Amino acid sequence: MRKFLLICFVVLIALTTLAKEKIIVNSYMSDPAPRKAFAELVKIFEQKYPDYEVVINTFAHEDFKTLLRTWLAAPKGTADVVTWFAGERMRYFAEMGLITPLEEIFQTTKWEDYFPASFKSTCSYNDKIYFIPQSWYWWGVYYRKSVFDKFGIREPRTWDEFLNVCETLKRNGVVPIAIGTKFPWTAAGWFDILNLRINGLEYHINLTAGKVPYNDPKLLKVFEYWRQLIDKGYLLPNHAAYEWQEGATFLFRGQAGMYYMGQFIKDVAPSEVKDDLDFFRFPIIDPSVPLYEETPIDGFMIPANAPNKKGAIVFLKFIASKEAQEKFAKDLGRLAANVEVTPPDDHAKKGLEMIVASSGVAQFYDRDTNPEMAEVGMNAFIEFMQNPGKVSSILDRLEQERKRIYSK
Amino acid sequence: MKRNKLTPYLFLAAPLCMYSIWVIYPIFQTFIVSFTKWDGMTKMKFVGLENFQRLITDNYFGLSLLNNIKWMVGFVLLSIPLGLIFAMLMDQKFPGHKIFKSLVYLPMALSFVVIGQIWSWVLEPTGGIVNTFFRSIGLEQLAKPWLSDPKIVTYSLIAAALWRQIPYVMILFLAGLKNVSRELVEAAIVDGAKATQRFWYVILPALRPAMVIAITVNIIDSLRAFDIVFVMTRGGPFYSSSVMANYMYVQAFHNYRMGYGASIAVVQFGITLGFIIMYLLNVLKKEERE
Amino acid sequence: MKKISRAILFYTLSTLIVVIWLIPLMVAFFTAFKTMDEIFMLRNFWSVPKTWTTDNFKTAWVEGKMQRYFLNTFLVTCISVAVTLFLSSLGAFALAWYKFKLRTTILIIFVAGMLIPFQMLLIPVYRFSVVTGLYDSLFGVILFHIAFQIGFCTFFMRNFMVTIPTSLFEAAKIDGAKAFTIYSKIIMPLLKPAVAALSILEFTWIWNDYLWSLILLQSDAKKTVTIGLTALQGQWISSWNVIAAGALLAAIVPVTVFLIFQKYFIEGLTLGSVKG
Repeated sequence: MRKFLLICFVVLIALTTLAKEKIIVNSYMSDPAPRKAFAELVKIFEQKYPDYEVVINTFAHEDFKTLLRTWLAAPKGTADVVTWFAGERMRYFAEMGLITPLEEIFQTTKWEDYFPASFKSTCSYNDKIYFIPQSWYWWGVYYRKSVFDKFGIREPRTWDEFLNVCETLKRNGVVPIAIGTKFPWTAAGWFDILNLRINGLEYHINLTAGKVPYNDPKLLKVFEYWRQLIDKGYLLPNHAAYEWQEGATFLFRGQAGMYYMGQFIKDVAPSEVKDDLDFFRFPIIDPSVPLYEETPIDGFMIPANAPNKKGAIVFLKFIASKEAQEKFAKDLGRLAANVEVTPPDDHAKKGLEMIVASSGVAQFYDRDTNPEMAEVGMNAFIEFMQNPGKVSSILDRLEQERKRIYSK
Repeated sequence: MKRNKLTPYLFLAAPLCMYSIWVIYPIFQTFIVSFTKWDGMTKMKFVGLENFQRLITDNYFGLSLLNNIKWMVGFVLLSIPLGLIFAMLMDQKFPGHKIFKSLVYLPMALSFVVIGQIWSWVLEPTGGIVNTFFRSIGLEQLAKPWLSDPKIVTYSLIAAALWRQIPYVMILFLAGLKNVSRELVEAAIVDGAKATQRFWYVILPALRPAMVIAITVNIIDSLRAFDIVFVMTRGGPFYSSSVMANYMYVQAFHNYRMGYGASIAVVQFGITLGFIIMYLLNVLKKEERE
Repeated sequence: MKKISRAILFYTLSTLIVVIWLIPLMVAFFTAFKTMDEIFMLRNFWSVPKTWTTDNFKTAWVEGKMQRYFLNTFLVTCISVAVTLFLSSLGAFALAWYKFKLRTTILIIFVAGMLIPFQMLLIPVYRFSVVTGLYDSLFGVILFHIAFQIGFCTFFMRNFMVTIPTSLFEAAKIDGAKAFTIYSKIIMPLLKPAVAALSILEFTWIWNDYLWSLILLQSDAKKTVTIGLTALQGQWISSWNVIAAGALLAAIVPVTVFLIFQKYFIEGLTLGSVKG
C-alpha cells in the first residue's frame, strides 16, 4: 500500500512539474492555407518555449466575428489570445476596457524596433498599444493573365479604360467582374475604393468616423460610378447567392474576368491557377485625387479577462519577432508587419511597391467604422447593388441610422 | 397519507429545479433586458419602453414580422393540404406503403444544418437542380436566383422548410385517420356516398382534432422559424429573408444591441403566447372530454 | 377492377412523391462522391459522378476532424437523453398521479417553455454558463439539453401516464407501497413504449442541435458534429464534395437510428404532437 501511495505521489509530482502551461488562442484563420501556416507557426513556438502548450481553436470567419464579443464580455475569460483586425474594430473593445494594453511587450524594446511607425496609431487607443500586427495586405483588381492575353487586354489605368476592358470581356461571353456578396463586406471593398478614388482619403476617414452625412451629394457621386457597372450588367449575376470564395471560383475557371479583392484571394486559388493570377491597381477616376489604397492589418490582441496573460504576452512577443513574421508572410505571400522582413515573393513585392507609391492608406470600411454602423452600411450597399434606382432613399435611411448611432 | 402533500413536490424537485435555472429564469432576464440599453459588455442602462417604441418604426423589424406571416401562411396553406393528401394516399395499405412512408419521413431525421446545405445546392443559381430542370425543359424564364432575389428568397426558404414540415403534418394526419371509424366509412359506402362525399362529410369531420393540432403546431413553428434562415441566408440579402428570430439574433449578436434584441424576443414571445394558450386550451379540453 | 385502378393510383402518386422527396438527398449523395475536378469544371449538382471517389469522406473524417466531433456528439446525446428521460419521468409521475395545488400551473409552465422562441434564452444561458464555469465543457451542453428538453418530456410522459388506469395506482397505494416503489416498480415498466418513443425523438433532436453547441462550446476538441459541419463549410467552402461528404456523415447516425426505430419515432411525434 505504501508503495502504491509513493508511486502515486511521484506520478503526481511528475505531472505537475511536467504539465505545460496552456495558452488558448481563438483564431478565425479557417481557410486551409492560413490555418496550416498558423499551426506550423505555433509548433515553432512550442519548440522554442517548451513550458507552454498552445491550444488553437479555429472558427469560421463569420462565426468568429459574432462570438468574439461574447468571449470578451464574459465575466470569466476563456481565451488568452484572439485574432482580430487593427483600427476601429479593435478600438471599440479597447474603449470598453475589454482588451489588455500591451506595454509589457515594449518595456525593453520600442514599437519601432518591430513595426513601422505608421502602424502605431491603428494599433493603439489613447496612446496605449493594444494590438500586435502580424501581417497586412493590399487590395487590388485580380485577374488571370491567360484570360487577359486571350482577349488582348492590357491592365487598365483609368476608369474609361476599365470600362472598355469590361466591355471586351462581356462581348466575349466572360462576366467582367466577379463578386460574392452573401456576406456583405465584399461590397464594402468597392464602396471604399470608389470613395477613395473620387473623394480622397480625408473625406473617407471623416465618413467612416461618422462625421459626414450619408446623403452628402459628394457621396452620391460614388454610387453613380458604381451604378455604371451595375446598369451595364458587368457584375456577376446573382452575386448575393455566393460567398466571396464561391465568387472567386468564377474567376479561377475563367468565367469571370476580374475580382476586386484582398491578397488573401490567393489562399483559396487552386494551385494550377495561382501563378496565373495577377492584379493591378484600381483605376484612376479623378486624376486630381491622389492615389489611396486599402491595406487592412491583421493581428492579435489579449482579452482583459484572459486567464493566462503572462503566457499570452510571451506568445505575442514571439509573434512580433522577425522569425515568426517571416514564416507566416512567406507561407501565405502576405506582407509581414515586422520592418525587418522583406516581401516574400514578387507578387508581394509588387503589392508593397503599390502601397509605398500611394499617398495614403485606409483600413477597410468595417474596420474603420463603428461596428453597428458598418452592419447597416454594408447591408445598404447590397441593397443598392440590387436596386440601384433606390439609391437616394437608401442613403437617406443610412443617414438616419448614422444620426442615431453616433448620437450616443 | 399525510406525507402525500409533499410527495409530488419531492418528485418534481429535480426536474423543476433544472428547468427553472435554464429556462424560466432566463426568460425573466430577457424581459428585464428588453427595457434596457445594453451592449452586453458595459453597464445596462434602463430606458423604459424606448426599445419597443423603436420597434414600431423599424422597417426591418416590420419586414421580419411580415416574413413570419408569409411563413405562417405558407405553412398552413401548403403543409396542411399536402400533408393530408400524402396521409390519405399512404394510409391505403398496399404492399410497400411502409417503405414509401419511411422515405418521405427521412428529412425529419436531418439537422437543419444539413437541410440548409442540401437545399442551397438544390436552389443554386447556375448548377442547382431546380434551375437546371427548368432550363432543360425550355423554361429558361423560370430559372431564378432563388436565394439572392429579395422578392423570392423567403419563399425559397419556406420551400426548404416544407420538405421537413409536410412529412410531420402527414404523421399527425395518419394518426388522426386511425381514429376514423371504419364502420362509419363503410356505412357511407353502403349508403352509396361517392368518394368525394365520403371525404367531405365523413372523414374530414373525424379529422377535426388532428386538424386543429396540426394548424396550431404549424403556426407556432412558423413564428419560431430560425434555423433554416440562419443556415441558408442569415436573413440576407439585406434583411429581405429575415424573420423575427433571426433579426433578434442579428441585433443582439452582430449589432451588439442586447436590449433591442431582447425586446424583439419579447414581442415574438407575446405573439406566440396567444397561440400557445390556444394550443393548451385545446389539449386540456380534449382531456376533459376523455 | 376498382382495386386495381386504386393500386395504380397509389403506386404512381407515391412513387412520384418519393422521387421528388429524395432528389435533394441524391444531390448531396452524388456530390459527395465526385472529384474536385469534376465539381470545378462542370459545376452542377444533378449528374452522376463520372469517377466515384471516397476521398472526400476521408478528408471530412480526418482533416475535418469529424471523427472527434462524432465522439463528442455521441457522448452529449446519450447522456442527455438518459438523464432527461429519468428526470422528466419523475416529474410526470407527480403531475399525473397526485392532485396538488400547483399542478396545473406547473404543467402549463412546462408546456409553455417548450414552445417559446428559444432565442430568448441565448444571452442569459451563455452568461450563466460562463459564470458557473460550465462554458466550453460538454457537461455544460449536456446540462442545458437536459433542462431544455425536460418541459417536452414531462408533458409527454404525463400524457401517457394518465392513460394508465388509476386503479393500478390506487391498489398499490392501499397495499402500502411507497411512492418511489410505485413509480419504479409499477409505473415505469408500463411506460416503456413512451420511453422508447421519447428516446428516439430526443436522440435525433439533440444529435442535430446546432445553435446551442455553437454558443456554449469553443474548443475544437469539444465541438459537435453540426458545428463541425459548419466549420467544414467555412474551410472547404467551394469544395462542395467535401462538404457533402461531411453532411452525409453528420446525417448517418440519426438517419440510421430513425430508420431502425421508426415506429417509435412516429409514435412519439403523434403522442407529443407539438414539436418538430
